[in-house]
Amino acid sequence: MRDGRLIWHSAAESKRGLNREKPRCLRWLYAGVALVCCCSILQSGSRAAPPARDASDLPNAAQEAPPTFDRDIRPILAAKCLKCHGETGRKGDLDLRTAAGIAKGGESGSIVEPGNPDESLLYEKVHDGSMPPDKKDRLSETDVAMIRRWIEAGAATDGESADSPAPTVGEHDVLPILLRRCAVCHGASQREAGLDLRSRAGLLRGGKSGPAIVPGQPEESLLIQRIRSAEMPPIKELIEVSIKPIEPAEIETIAAWIARGAPEANEEPDVATTIPDPAVTDQERDFWSFRPPVAAATLVVRQTNRVRNPVDAFILAKLEERGLTLAPEADRSTLHRRLCFDLTGLPPEPAQIEAFLADTKPDAYERLVERLLDSPRYGERWGRHWLDLAGYADSEGKREQDLPRPSAYRYRDYVIRAFNDDKPYDRFLLEQIAGDELADYEHAPEITPELYDNLVATGFLRMAPDPTWYNLTNFVPDRVDVIADEIDVLGSSVMGLTMKCARCHSHKFDPLPHRDYYRLVAVFKGAFDEYDWMKSTWNNGLSHGPRSDRDLPYVTTAERRQWESHNAALQKAIEALQVPLDELAATLTKQYQAQRIEKLPAELREDVRAMLAEPADKRTPVQQYLAEKFEKSLTIDRAELANLDADFKKRGDEASQAIASMQGKKLPEPRIRALWDRGDPSPTYIYRRGDYLTPARLVGPGVPSVLTDGKTPLDVRPPWPGAKSTGRRLAFARWLTQPDQPLTSRVMVNRIWKHHFGTGLVKTLDNFGKTGTPPTHPELLDYLATQFTARGWSIKAMHRLLVTSATYRQSSVVTLEASRIDPDNAFVSRMPLQRLSAEQLYDALLLVSGRLDETRFGPADAVDVRADGLATPRGTERGWRRGIYISQQRKVVVTHFENFDFPAMNPNCGERRDSTVTLQALHLWNNGVVQQLADSFAGRIEREAAASTSRQIERIYLTAFGRTPNDDEVQVAEDALVRLTGKWLASAPGAAPPDRAAAAHQALVTLCHAILNSAEFLYVD
Amino acid sequence: MSTDPIPRRSFFEQMVGGLYGASLAYLLGRDLYGDEAQHAAPVFDLRPKPPPHEPRAKAVIHLFMNGGPSQMDLFDPKPLLDKLHGTQHYEKIAGEIENLKDAGAIMRSPFKFAQHGQSGMWVSDAMPQLARQVDEIAFIRSMHTTNLTHEPAIYLIQSGKMGPGRPALGSWVIYGLGSESQNLPAYVVLDDPLGLPINGIENWQAGFLPPLYQGTRFRSTGSPVLNLRPDVERPGEIVAFERDLLSRLDQAHKVRRPGQPRLEARIASYELAARMQLAATDALDLSQETQATQEAYGINKPPTESYGRRCLIARRLIERGVRFVQLYINAQIWDNHTGLATDLKAACDRTDQPIAALLDDLKQRGLMDDTLVIWGGEFGRLPIAQLPPDKDEKKAGRDHNKNAFTTWMAGAGIKAGTVHGATDELGFAAVENKVSVPDWHATILHLLGLSHEELYLEQNGLKERLTGVSPARVVTEILA
Repeated sequence: MRDGRLIWHSAAESKRGLNREKPRCLRWLYAGVALVCCCSILQSGSRAAPPARDASDLPNAAQEAPPTFDRDIRPILAAKCLKCHGETGRKGDLDLRTAAGIAKGGESGSIVEPGNPDESLLYEKVHDGSMPPDKKDRLSETDVAMIRRWIEAGAATDGESADSPAPTVGEHDVLPILLRRCAVCHGASQREAGLDLRSRAGLLRGGKSGPAIVPGQPEESLLIQRIRSAEMPPIKELIEVSIKPIEPAEIETIAAWIARGAPEANEEPDVATTIPDPAVTDQERDFWSFRPPVAAATLVVRQTNRVRNPVDAFILAKLEERGLTLAPEADRSTLHRRLCFDLTGLPPEPAQIEAFLADTKPDAYERLVERLLDSPRYGERWGRHWLDLAGYADSEGKREQDLPRPSAYRYRDYVIRAFNDDKPYDRFLLEQIAGDELADYEHAPEITPELYDNLVATGFLRMAPDPTWYNLTNFVPDRVDVIADEIDVLGSSVMGLTMKCARCHSHKFDPLPHRDYYRLVAVFKGAFDEYDWMKSTWNNGLSHGPRSDRDLPYVTTAERRQWESHNAALQKAIEALQVPLDELAATLTKQYQAQRIEKLPAELREDVRAMLAEPADKRTPVQQYLAEKFEKSLTIDRAELANLDADFKKRGDEASQAIASMQGKKLPEPRIRALWDRGDPSPTYIYRRGDYLTPARLVGPGVPSVLTDGKTPLDVRPPWPGAKSTGRRLAFARWLTQPDQPLTSRVMVNRIWKHHFGTGLVKTLDNFGKTGTPPTHPELLDYLATQFTARGWSIKAMHRLLVTSATYRQSSVVTLEASRIDPDNAFVSRMPLQRLSAEQLYDALLLVSGRLDETRFGPADAVDVRADGLATPRGTERGWRRGIYISQQRKVVVTHFENFDFPAMNPNCGERRDSTVTLQALHLWNNGVVQQLADSFAGRIEREAAASTSRQIERIYLTAFGRTPNDDEVQVAEDALVRLTGKWLASAPGAAPPDRAAAAHQALVTLCHAILNSAEFLYVD
Repeated sequence: MSTDPIPRRSFFEQMVGGLYGASLAYLLGRDLYGDEAQHAAPVFDLRPKPPPHEPRAKAVIHLFMNGGPSQMDLFDPKPLLDKLHGTQHYEKIAGEIENLKDAGAIMRSPFKFAQHGQSGMWVSDAMPQLARQVDEIAFIRSMHTTNLTHEPAIYLIQSGKMGPGRPALGSWVIYGLGSESQNLPAYVVLDDPLGLPINGIENWQAGFLPPLYQGTRFRSTGSPVLNLRPDVERPGEIVAFERDLLSRLDQAHKVRRPGQPRLEARIASYELAARMQLAATDALDLSQETQATQEAYGINKPPTESYGRRCLIARRLIERGVRFVQLYINAQIWDNHTGLATDLKAACDRTDQPIAALLDDLKQRGLMDDTLVIWGGEFGRLPIAQLPPDKDEKKAGRDHNKNAFTTWMAGAGIKAGTVHGATDELGFAAVENKVSVPDWHATILHLLGLSHEELYLEQNGLKERLTGVSPARVVTEILA
């Protein structure tokens, strides 16, 4: 016995099945049937209307008399629904004012299935209480029951007829079918048989066998004939191009359209116009984060002596309201360590500390800030934050065979350099979103570093996990998933919007219509086209191997020349060996041949010589006879020559070895992993419920309406005269980087704030929408955002402003009062105690132990995996490079990184976790590399402070903690060293003579190991 | 050490007031995760939590048969295949075949089916040992999934979505229920020493849940957990001295920083690490088991040795309060594209005896009453043959099938000796009482006293659930 819920479930499941599996044409059939039913009910309803009866006549009158639209349904809808689905708003693309609007349905398709309330979205929504969204507006049980009975009875709409014409099969029912089943071979990139099936014009033009369709005569049309005979699409070859077989219903849809005369659709893509947008209201535009930031007047505070810059005033004002103030300034050693880790990701070196502590000038701190911002280490720290947002990875992911991305590192290097150069953030975004449309690279006489950067930067939207290099995971839905991930990366990292929520339906909480998601998809269509897909095939690192479709050869002219001359030099050296060898071989061959000819009967010798001298096709019949008889035995190949001549063999082998080794040194052609517009994109349809099998309205490029006035079209134009590129992304990027764009500057300054202060002013870094948290200091956020744009989008200017504030220079000590009034530190009554990130810890371990190789940039360092799964970066001759340079494969995560919360990029990471788990303790305590580094650390201390153990202890503290130890600490450590030395001596194998020096070293190693495991090493005050 | 079953909860109860009470009180009360800024956020910890509903099972052993075991050669007999053997059929199901070029004709099973037990359940002669256990088991013959390629299908059955980045089933379970052991991880993965399954370590990721809920790999030989033993052994006295020294440094550091509970957590994590070293080593010490037990699991001989060890370790972990144990097999032994008759049999030979022994053992020790055992892969196989490149029918196998596969469950809360759902006459698609992957997930959560609708993490206003936005239904028909 099934209960009501189960019935509901089964209905929902069958509906899900219907929407998932039935292509658009079938829905049309259903809709048609539904409408016919609807009309017949209407008619029968009007003809056989029961005589009006008093309800009291029959006890069950309520059950028997079907509700009527005008009397029973329209008032309910008017009272509860029209606010959003009527006059002023058109949420979900739904207009509930008229019968026609109800029949048309909304973005999720039809909302009423006459006779079947359990399959009707309208009923489902009001029944499960998800509509109306505001609880207090919910329909009463009586109203819900009324709607149910109305639908059960056929959903008649009384006298009002559905005034939209019955749906017919149109061009836009057919084109999506051709796109998904045929265009891969007869489309943009391939034109098999000269045929382009992506448009009506292309169908009429046809290919080498003539027009593909004969309007009005489906069975005469080649297209239909070839499909019906199962000749096309060729079923057994479909898998090679990742296409699923065409469905019978799809064939009938195409045939029906041709039968109607293959009419052209007069439908322009839906884009923003100058008419106000009914889908988003001005009230919604009034939400705080959708309004441009406005610089507030600096606030007045009592403790002006604590105000170093305007940031402090904003913070102090809130603190003073609560009877709090800033914590005292931290001591200089603490500040130095904090600033170094924060700006460069590494601890201060002893010499720097001593210099800073000795610098008594008033601007010592400010000059320290400048030094650190100028350090090349800065980009390695702050670039990493950006790589998290981009979802940087050195492999494709999603498949068992996790193919490497051998040139992804160029994007990583680009990001590091951009931060080091303080590239203005607006330019940084322009390059990453539309670098290929900034300047013509194809016809440039020279690829300058700027052109190169433009292209490398577009790697930003090439980072998502991507299985589409493989046929079986390269179907349209797989591609659409990749596109969705890239839109998610863009939305979450740059726009602070949960755009991805609008992929299947309009956003539930934010004013982001379903349509706006697909307008954004259309912006990217020239580069991400699921019907003309560029596979992420793999460049295997060989110059002649398979290559990614997504690579461009436009490295800088300088790099290309360097590569060419590198390989040319090798080629020259190879030829230098090859040519004399070939000459020798020719000479020897002649000699041995002559000897063999001498063995022939004398009378034949001359004729044979003449035959050999003559090219095969010019020989006389006699010579041909001779050739057949003797040529084979007189021909000596290299192998035979080597057998005949030991000296030649020796020289040949030596040369071959040398040549092979030089061939191995040749470098593959340098290439860039990039995103570029190829022009001629496929049309963009809204995918109902995110499913490519249910395409709905045609849309064009656009930006989220809520971030505009709703009546300004996106200004799309070709980026330069004659450009192939559509210019859509450039138009989008220019809009995104307008100074008054409400989100771009706010989202970025909030991230910068978060990395300095531990928590964002808006805590939800990726979400500035309604479900995000509102800013704790809205005026400060807007002050920073406006400063950011006013200072030319300079990120370093923001660092200067923030780290020189008194707020940043506070101590991290928590007072009782602060913990009571500001327990979460939401008002920044102190600096937070921060744990080092995975990379900070890794890099710091290497630096203090003197094993950090600061070689920058270039291909990623490999990771070795031990049989038990321990993954360790492979070292260099000098030690190990910084964590940012380690290969980031998705399926091989360095164990240290995994344990310390390095994120999996699915597709990116807006904010890292900060966990304390046992595996971290096990790692630092037992891992062999950490042991080894403790040994190196001790060795460094012995070299740098040989004089005494107290000097050594001071040096350890200075190196590891950035401060000098107090007397107690020295005492404890000295005592530990004495006792440890004794223990190591005692533990030495009995027979060996006691080695005091070795034991003292071991004791120091043990102390260093404890230091590297200590909380003070791991946390920054 | 005694081999008596260790009562659950005892470890936890000892810990709270005991030796480690001071620091553990924090750990258990708050978490090992997060910091002072997390007050408003959900609390992430491993403290045992009573489930919202009466649980039938307290622990799970998931025997994940990655590769896609063939339902019509093991549990779902299809006599029509014998009749239609050799008939061309691929054109009718072309969109559902992964390797169309190799598609052959309808193929009968090379195995013989017979009915077993009181329940008269059909099992083929490929699994003679499991056939003895059918009266303990409920079979679901009507499973279906959404993608016919391994990676997406495995992501789906492990985490509810056809891509990486979401918490695994085991992660959701321990997020909902916490741990009953404070010395061992709550979610243990026993992977095959011969290699990782498809999707590798992503199979047990915590996704958007904190890493606290990630599965912890236990190696069945050698050191069970990475870095559990030092790479370089040092004299015990020196290790103890360093431990003491570190503790003094950290205490002093903490005292100077009042009001920073995460520093307590860190100190406690070092203490836990030390105890885990003992507990994990003990749990994996199979020499504590009798000869008879070892032989029953087949760990004395190939080909059962490796999987037998993992099954036996699974039982020992469950006894010690581990909540979710997941067993893997290297590579794709169930992925029988070719050589069905031999390779499928070989896969059964590796696992049949150990699994039957596990069920016996759990029953004998009374652990079956609160342990749920789950068996199954990511999809099933097609009724038609897949031919090798040389088209030799004797070496034929079967290609992937997303429309039908069989899984089974046994133990706590399961109506033993039942069959739920049915496939069509060819075994190509589930047609009766279909069970989707979300349904299957919902059923497992339900048995643990959780609800797939109430177990969620709210992100950006969206309640993220294991079953996602798909409707899901508990398969009540297989519940006792």
